[in-house]
Amino acid sequence: MNVRRWSALTKRELLKIGRNPAAIGTSLLLPILYLLLFGQGFNFTKLLNVPGLTAQQQALFLATYLLGAPDYFSYFAAGMVGFVSVTATLFVGANVIFDKLFGTLKRTAASPATATDIFGARLVAGSIQPVALAFLVLGLAVLLGYVGLAGLHITAAVSVVGAVEIVVAILLLSLMFASLFLALGFTIEQPQTYFAVVNAINLPVLLTSAALYPWGAMPSWLQGIASYNPITLAVEVLRINLFGGNFYPQAAWVYLLGLIGWAVAMFAIATLLTQRALAPKV
Amino acid sequence: MTEAIIAEGLSKVFNGSVKAVDGISFSVKEGEVYGFLGPNGAGKTTTLSMLTAVLGPTAGRATVDGLDVVQHPHELKQRIGLVFQESTADQDLTGRENLELAAALFGVPLRDTPERVQELLGRLALADSAERLVKTYSGGMRRRLELAVGIIHSPRVLFLDEPTLGLDPQGRAGFWKIIGELRKETGMTVFLTTHYLEEADGMCDRIAIIDHGKIVATGTPTELKDRVGGDVVTVRPLGNATALEPALRALPGVTAVAFQDGTFRVKCPSGDALIPKAVGAATNLGIALAGVSLRRPSLDEVFLEFTGREFREDEGPTATDRAVFLSRFQDGRRGRR
Repeated sequence: MNVRRWSALTKRELLKIGRNPAAIGTSLLLPILYLLLFGQGFNFTKLLNVPGLTAQQQALFLATYLLGAPDYFSYFAAGMVGFVSVTATLFVGANVIFDKLFGTLKRTAASPATATDIFGARLVAGSIQPVALAFLVLGLAVLLGYVGLAGLHITAAVSVVGAVEIVVAILLLSLMFASLFLALGFTIEQPQTYFAVVNAINLPVLLTSAALYPWGAMPSWLQGIASYNPITLAVEVLRINLFGGNFYPQAAWVYLLGLIGWAVAMFAIATLLTQRALAPKV
Repeated sequence: MTEAIIAEGLSKVFNGSVKAVDGISFSVKEGEVYGFLGPNGAGKTTTLSMLTAVLGPTAGRATVDGLDVVQHPHELKQRIGLVFQESTADQDLTGRENLELAAALFGVPLRDTPERVQELLGRLALADSAERLVKTYSGGMRRRLELAVGIIHSPRVLFLDEPTLGLDPQGRAGFWKIIGELRKETGMTVFLTTHYLEEADGMCDRIAIIDHGKIVATGTPTELKDRVGGDVVTVRPLGNATALEPALRALPGVTAVAFQDGTFRVKCPSGDALIPKAVGAATNLGIALAGVSLRRPSLDEVFLEFTGREFREDEGPTATDRAVFLSRFQDGRRGRR
């Protein structure tokens, strides 16, 4: 990898992102709507305020269903972080396809820039937005608690190690999905095909994760699938550090290891596919 | 003089059956302007893509500036400049940003970059619009920016793929003027494809006519035109002048004489040398002339001569175009390019 080429290409991506405020706005819209509407409407922990239910029974309920999170909104807000790393990275692949259609990628591919330069620049530039968005979601979710809405209540004492684990989890998840979508972008030619494939991936990945469902409400077969889902792994790192790990079978670093596995595998596959896509066509 | 480009039996087969380029061999000398002339789908762009390591050849080999196109694609890309048919500049960046990006990609030293970018912006009349986004540029400006990107690193060999497609005559003339100047200053080799006959005629030192993936003729524009039968000198006498015909026929170099509508049409390899002789012959016979004119054969006639077809600029999609389109489509469906 050539640092000058890589940084020039990264700068180009960032300039393009910065010149498209509409795209930044719409990427913010989705998580905001989820936090303001979905999270508020689904905050079923209100149901626990039933006369006669003891504090012990309430705690048991939270432990079983939300693995120790204080309420559904808090549990869900951590899940939203996983959600945004998927929805905000899918555009990196779409941009590759548009660059193919506009001929820009042809120019870059005909230059001495290697596939690693081209892929690396897009990976880094493409991960900045989802990572920033993830922290924005966390911040906003906390703030909502102070304006009379359901908000994210952090009930555990977050250690420095825990904070680092959270940052690394968000970073890894974004890099993993950015790799996946870049791989698709470099191999698919038509935007219609790309969006069809992305939709076929997005929802199944999200809906087989523990991002939105209360863990205890999931059937055991779905829990089994979700345990290996990268979104679940990242979200669990967050939940363990924000609400305590008493009800989780593993420590946060175990989930991080799984996430590293996913990220490395996806990165390797994506680099290979990008190299093949950019090699002279035989 | 060494060879800047050597192609030996270069072939490209798409989908295992459609021969876009069919075993062509040619060489281009250093400093030469070499034109590939042919209709759409003849294999011009495919050849250029193989020479620039964008496409891998199915068979044969090629070297550009001494580098094998298959074995050293990265070194090759560093030494050549490439101007595509279509605009490849980033529309969301300014002209200057596009050039700065190209400078970084093609390894122009960081400290020389601002100066080089400014020089090219000025030279290609883009200095006033350097800070504007490319999406606001006109077609001619985009072409000039494309050229600036192609030559940012002062390449040894410049490849131009139908570089003036869609430009108005003024824009085309301006584009070629710049190429001419650059060539004079740097001595770079230029390989271009075009289907504008007059461009090939005016710009190229040598031309290869390519049709259905094969080179059907090569030579200087003059040689090619000579092969068609050379110039035609028309001699129009005042009044009856039947005695002039045998006299014209007897002049050195004359290959044919025809009389039509009161005018003699004299075919010969070099018309301008013949005119004084023809006038002299008429004067000797005491025949007054109303007019003499010279017509040089155009490349249109050359093309017709070598391919047996009229040269048409807007032919429909050819078998190759369709195959290329289909192969992309099918590759896309298989999830690979």
